[in-house]
Amino acid sequence: MTGKNVSRRAFLMGGAVLSGAGLVRAAKIKTRAWPGNRNDVNCGIIGYGPRGREITETLARVPGARVSAICDTYAPMLRRAQRDVPEATQHQDYREILDNADIQAVIIATPTHLHHDIVINALDAGKNIYCEAPMASSIDDAKSIARAARDAPNQIFQVGQIYRSNPQHLSVFQFMRSGAIGKPAVARGQWHAKESWRRASPNADRVRELNWRLDPEVSLGLIGESALLQMDVAYWVLGELPSSVHGFGQIMLWDDGREIPDTIQTIFEFPSGLHMIFDATLASSYEDAYEVYMGSNSTIVFRDRGKAWMFKEVDSLMLGWEVYARKDRFYKETGIALLANATQLDAQNLDPTEDDPNVETPLWYAMQEFMDNHAFGPYPPTANWERGLEATAIAVIANQAILERSHKKIDPLFYTLD
Amino acid sequence: MQTVRLALHAMATRFELVLHGEDAVYLRAAGEEALAEIKRLHRRLSVYDPTSEVSHINRNASETPVEINRNLFSLLQMASDLHHSTDGAFDITVGPLMRCWGFMGDSGSWPEEAQRKEALEKTGMDKVELDDSTCTIAFKRDGMAIDLGAIGKGYAIEEATTLLQECGITSALLHGGTSTMAAIGTPSPDEDGWPIGIADPLDQSHVLTSTTIRDEAFSVSAPHGKAFQKDNKIWGHVIDPRHGYPIQGPALSAVVHSSATVCDGISTALLAMNQTEVNKIAQKFNGMRILCAYSDNNVLNLVSNGFINKFKDSQ
Repeated sequence: MTGKNVSRRAFLMGGAVLSGAGLVRAAKIKTRAWPGNRNDVNCGIIGYGPRGREITETLARVPGARVSAICDTYAPMLRRAQRDVPEATQHQDYREILDNADIQAVIIATPTHLHHDIVINALDAGKNIYCEAPMASSIDDAKSIARAARDAPNQIFQVGQIYRSNPQHLSVFQFMRSGAIGKPAVARGQWHAKESWRRASPNADRVRELNWRLDPEVSLGLIGESALLQMDVAYWVLGELPSSVHGFGQIMLWDDGREIPDTIQTIFEFPSGLHMIFDATLASSYEDAYEVYMGSNSTIVFRDRGKAWMFKEVDSLMLGWEVYARKDRFYKETGIALLANATQLDAQNLDPTEDDPNVETPLWYAMQEFMDNHAFGPYPPTANWERGLEATAIAVIANQAILERSHKKIDPLFYTLD
Repeated sequence: MQTVRLALHAMATRFELVLHGEDAVYLRAAGEEALAEIKRLHRRLSVYDPTSEVSHINRNASETPVEINRNLFSLLQMASDLHHSTDGAFDITVGPLMRCWGFMGDSGSWPEEAQRKEALEKTGMDKVELDDSTCTIAFKRDGMAIDLGAIGKGYAIEEATTLLQECGITSALLHGGTSTMAAIGTPSPDEDGWPIGIADPLDQSHVLTSTTIRDEAFSVSAPHGKAFQKDNKIWGHVIDPRHGYPIQGPALSAVVHSSATVCDGISTALLAMNQTEVNKIAQKFNGMRILCAYSDNNVLNLVSNGFINKFKDSQ
């Protein structure tokens, strides 16, 4: 069987090039066969909870990947792994995977506070690493990981800040950086869900382990464990890192003995003077998750995990391509859909105003970038150790501000290595 | 004893879950995990989401074998087994026929004969190759597609129920749109099982019969919904995938079995079956209870196997 096609997007370092005809249209993605044999990269999954399973399912569809080993400390998870991927070996100790010379890559999807030791040991063992976000639960751990990854430039170290690899985000990112919204004035975002965040197991020790997100000693709370990917997009598209944060946190619904707030509000201050308001709650699912960037010419909204729309001010200039763009109605407002790959769709005689029928999930694109890097790299991933360190620092300080209901400066030194 | 109720909107229906136990916080945690599994499966199986695994198959399997996850492969194998068990009445490739008859997003219309034949050419699990050694699926014809709508809900309920059992839940009922459900244990120690009423297909306000389920699943199907009129006859949206025409099967079918996936698939297939075929199915599946209600001039003719309440079994 011939290999599946593999994108050269990562090779082209984010090749969502803006075309003259339509600023938001990404260039046609070139594809080519995965070099060498199919399923070249043997991957070990460390942590087979919901995220580990999702990554494993995704890797089954990513060219070049083969899940060869799965590790989890809990026997029922390994039984599930046996059912899902019978050809993979099962392990309760991740060091067995690190000792296996046939495994080139490990994907770390354990609780955040366990990342550090596994990453350090995996780098020592010469593995390429995909580490779920947040990269760490403390700035010290994040710096230690960053230092080790920096000092291993011949190994891939990619953090799970998945929107950095997503063609839709790359497309809108360049659109925003071209100044389409005018003078940025206000940014706002939310992550809303109705769920308790508790996990169940008939084993009492396992219950404690599973509920690490509710443990104030190790959890980064809602801002770190749920909202981080959205915040990552925010300071990426705005082009500056926050300098301080105001935080508030309350227990509004799940008053079951927990100390971690189930509802939070934050205000991030950026050096340019822009402020971003972000709130998250486990008490209401209203409006799910989105981010809004309001400027003097237009407003851009990200929602539904990467879809984007532009809402223009009446006094802003008409853009040539917008005549042809799809318009979606949102109550009294009309949004212009910002679609990646419109040029590609047009070339395939598909309707460029409709959503791309070949689109994949943001996680798939992140995994594809990781696999591409094995074929063409190593080169620094779009979400490398620097991006991981920045995100961790923001999450740690914001979480402190939330728990203390205070205003915290974010020392620029947190964002960099000494 | 505490009771916790949870709900989720997924697979174009409302799932509801009720759990009984000692610790409400624990019950909710287990219930949320079960509903999260349904949400995850919705994303994997939906034909409307271009990022789903099923959409990935439909885009590529006509050109090249598509490698898929082992558990999705197992589900497709189960769909293939059901296809054979029902002599082709259950078929996840019926999409082209549904489109041809105008039942995809419309109320239906009589197609040209050439169109019907063309759609029939693209229909049939016998034109789907499942290779166990490579865990791949391939279509033998261009334009084919699979749609797991007829068993997806049952499968999701079965997987979610397994998670609840792994969490140690001993009393729960989980249903999707009240048409497919699974029970763990009984509502209370002094009851035999979870009571279920089946509405009369000719008068929804009237209960046709009732039964109980315990550590088993139940599914009911009826050809309600899309239909059109031709030659003074109503043609409903249930198409027999073997012939490519709408069929006049039972007005209602109900199934009890240990597997929610099997219940969901068989109750759908029964809608394409006559009474003789229904009796054959009852013989093929050990322990399965079946009820089919055929309407003849507004009089119900019942075929029952194991539904003991009001009706004398046909066997």
